[in-house]
Amino acid sequence: MSRTAYLLLLAVFLAPAVIIYSTFSIYPLLATIFNSFYDRQDDGTSLFVGLSNFTTLLSDPTWSAPFWNAFRNNCLFFLIHMCVQNPIGLVLAALLSLPRLNLRATYRTLIFMPTMLSVVVIGFSWQLILSPLWGVAKMFLSFFGLGFLFGPWLGEESTALLTISLISVWQFVGIPMILIYTALLAIPDELIDAATVDGLNQFQAFIWVKLPLILPTLGLVSVLTFVNNFNAFDLIYAMKGALAGPNFSADIMGTLFYRVFFGNQLQLGDTSMGSAIATMMFLIILTGVMIYLFVIQRRMHRYSF
Amino acid sequence: MRKPASAIAVHAILGLYTVLALFPIVLVVMNSFKAKRAIFNTPLQPPMPWNFDPIGYAKVFGDSAITSYYLNSLVVTTGTIFMTLLFGAMAAWALTEYKFRWNTLLALYLSIGIMVPIRLGSVAIIQLVSDLNMINTLSALVLVYTAQSLPLSIFILSEFIAQIPKDLREAGRCDGLTEFHIFFYIVLPLIRPAMATVAVFTMIPVWNDLWFPLLLAPTNGKQTITLGVQQFLGQYITDWNAVLAALSTAIIPVLILYVIFSRQLIRGLTSGAVK
Amino acid sequence: MAEVLIDKLCKSYGSAEILKDIDLKVEDGSFVVLVGPSGCGKSTLLRCIAGLEPISAGGMTIGGRQVKNLPPAKREIAMVFQSYALYPHMDVKGNMAFGLRFAGTPKAEIEARVAEAARILQLEPLLKRRPRELSGGQRQRVAIGRAIVRKPQVFLFDEPLSNLDAALRINTRVEIAKLHKLLNATIVYVTHDQVEAMTLADKIVVMNKGRIEQAGKPLDLYYKPANLFVAGFIGSPAMNFLEGHVTGSGRVEAAGSGLTLRLPSSCKPGDKVTLGVRPEHMNLGAAPGPLLQAQVDLIERLGETGYAHLRLPTGQVVISEVRGEPGHVTGDSISVGFDPVRCHIFDAAGRRIE
Repeated sequence: MSRTAYLLLLAVFLAPAVIIYSTFSIYPLLATIFNSFYDRQDDGTSLFVGLSNFTTLLSDPTWSAPFWNAFRNNCLFFLIHMCVQNPIGLVLAALLSLPRLNLRATYRTLIFMPTMLSVVVIGFSWQLILSPLWGVAKMFLSFFGLGFLFGPWLGEESTALLTISLISVWQFVGIPMILIYTALLAIPDELIDAATVDGLNQFQAFIWVKLPLILPTLGLVSVLTFVNNFNAFDLIYAMKGALAGPNFSADIMGTLFYRVFFGNQLQLGDTSMGSAIATMMFLIILTGVMIYLFVIQRRMHRYSF
Repeated sequence: MRKPASAIAVHAILGLYTVLALFPIVLVVMNSFKAKRAIFNTPLQPPMPWNFDPIGYAKVFGDSAITSYYLNSLVVTTGTIFMTLLFGAMAAWALTEYKFRWNTLLALYLSIGIMVPIRLGSVAIIQLVSDLNMINTLSALVLVYTAQSLPLSIFILSEFIAQIPKDLREAGRCDGLTEFHIFFYIVLPLIRPAMATVAVFTMIPVWNDLWFPLLLAPTNGKQTITLGVQQFLGQYITDWNAVLAALSTAIIPVLILYVIFSRQLIRGLTSGAVK
Repeated sequence: MAEVLIDKLCKSYGSAEILKDIDLKVEDGSFVVLVGPSGCGKSTLLRCIAGLEPISAGGMTIGGRQVKNLPPAKREIAMVFQSYALYPHMDVKGNMAFGLRFAGTPKAEIEARVAEAARILQLEPLLKRRPRELSGGQRQRVAIGRAIVRKPQVFLFDEPLSNLDAALRINTRVEIAKLHKLLNATIVYVTHDQVEAMTLADKIVVMNKGRIEQAGKPLDLYYKPANLFVAGFIGSPAMNFLEGHVTGSGRVEAAGSGLTLRLPSSCKPGDKVTLGVRPEHMNLGAAPGPLLQAQVDLIERLGETGYAHLRLPTGQVVISEVRGEPGHVTGDSISVGFDPVRCHIFDAAGRRIE
């Protein structure tokens, strides 16, 4: 094959993917970062302003207060996922991967089901269930004698974010469960047999043999949780709208970005500041991914069996 | 499970969690078929002849363009799956099979999108789409979703293509097949299982997405079902029959698809390691 | 070291019977090899001895102690797995010490035992390495070392050589034989390779479809296979079988010719019998016994010896060992014979007739 023909061949195979991906993914990403250094004027032209959008965002109280509020909330959102979603996922995966378990496929399929549904649908369904109007949640709690605990959780500043986080945990617990379950299945049976011969019971074998071997997967699950959490938007928007709940108590980066960029009842849309927030989100996510790639993943050995 | 006591405990935990996972979904779907009074008075009762009332569904399918939203979602999802699979497989094949100078770099470039969400470029995507006069079109959604899905699909498909024995492709070349024939008649049929997995992975986020329909096709009858339901819910917030029916219309098709394809999906997720 | 006694052991999964009425005695200090085709139940039997599989019926004692309901760690056994099953996240020393740590062995004792095993197996320079940094043969030695440090009553080996290449397999085989002598250990060893079985075993147990077909010394099995299955399984290439029937006193018609053999008086005319002749006992040309006409199909030359594939008039192909340069080519018509003394006779049910 001549060199020209070879290059042509490569071009034909690669061009569609590279063009679409570059145009609708990489270019917008770069353009957004680029935009964040400019200030859009009223006449439609743009003025280079260096880092001033960022200094405004981080120091001007009208901007920095909502920004830090959203950032703090987002960190809390992530923390709740790490402390609730991933441990539950781990426990479920550990139970599902037990040998000789009946109904394994059924449990797996049913527990994963909420993950398949749209966040909008999930958000609204929970909103109805938790609504004092319907009273299903209260009825449920009363059944266990816990009726006094019930409150308008979604409507109160102190509990709105926690409640939404737990709903998100409920929906997405299937993802860490399946990923960890897969990693557990990849561990050869003989290794567990060897541990049994060495005198370990199921629980000890899990702690001393299986857990160390799935550490890379736990790292991956953490970074995926991080990226998804700092990119979240749908659930809060669906449940609380762009204003993100009583007095912005459930505001996270995604909703802040949407509000600033599109504007809302309180302010006009602002492309430049929107870009600046998107760039900050990009930097946060990038930092998380880099920490994972260069600090966590380097220290962990990936074992092939 | 040798000891019955521990087996019972395991089943109790898994069973309880399963109930927790299904309860809200079952509750919504169940009550969507009931009369308003029954929804409030006996929410835990399944629909029965005496409390049955499809009024919510009548509203959903009567007052709004839900059917056309379904169609929109279907067009967007199938379009995205088709382009993602075809272009993704082509690129994956070129990257795995052919040696050229920028091979590794290009692979790295294409994998950025796995970790960095495309949403962060939304500002520029809107500008781009409006410059192209594609606001409120389904094609804009298909293009954006394809760009979003390509990185992961190229990554997965490459792994599978690399597993195809070299001999098969060499045999094809000896038989005088062109590179395109080898791709379409040898490679594509062989990676069909992987394509099914990628299709499911592509489908779920696209079908469920709210963000891009909200940004790129929010009006004009071009809403997807997820956005359509969201807007409908906003309008009818106080009409519980309509709200529950709208939610169920969004849930039920996905559930049916999931029950049909769950085996394939889970097998894809667990990449064949099913016990 | 101790002896293992297995008494009427049965194992079934649901309705599928994997092991049926297994009776077996593994003498103290002996090397017993379980062989058989895949799916015959040999690995399951080993795992039952280890306690990794519960047994459905019957009993088992190790060193006189009933172990039926004991967990593996309490049976004083050690097992070497086919894939070695080394813990990938621990170094060589960690792998060997792991079980002892859980048994609560004092630290100094662990150190001493690991050092001893490392010395025997020449693993001393490798103690700090991880399994993935070791070659196949080294991993194999670590797996054996992990078994040695436990000072078990019985060693169990599950096809330990099947992941090694041919040259290393022979080396390791010799090492295992030496180790057996050195430790004076009781060993139960599973393999599908009959050469391993013949060279290592004090006693071979041939298994098929969940039953023991025959157990005995390697050469006893070779010279006096109890039935058609064992006759066909032991020896390579496999024994030739000729279908026939008894025509008169001491006369058998087989492969289209009448042969005179010494038959026991229990054989009546008309009885169906199968004659078994090993390739090494079939001679081209002259023989002290009956001659058959045949056509050369193929000659495989291995050097000093070779194998001639011969087609009998009935269409059946038999294999004969040839020495030196046979001088025949494909298509030649020749006669082939065998010594009746070397011929095994089996009845219609496949049992050996003496």
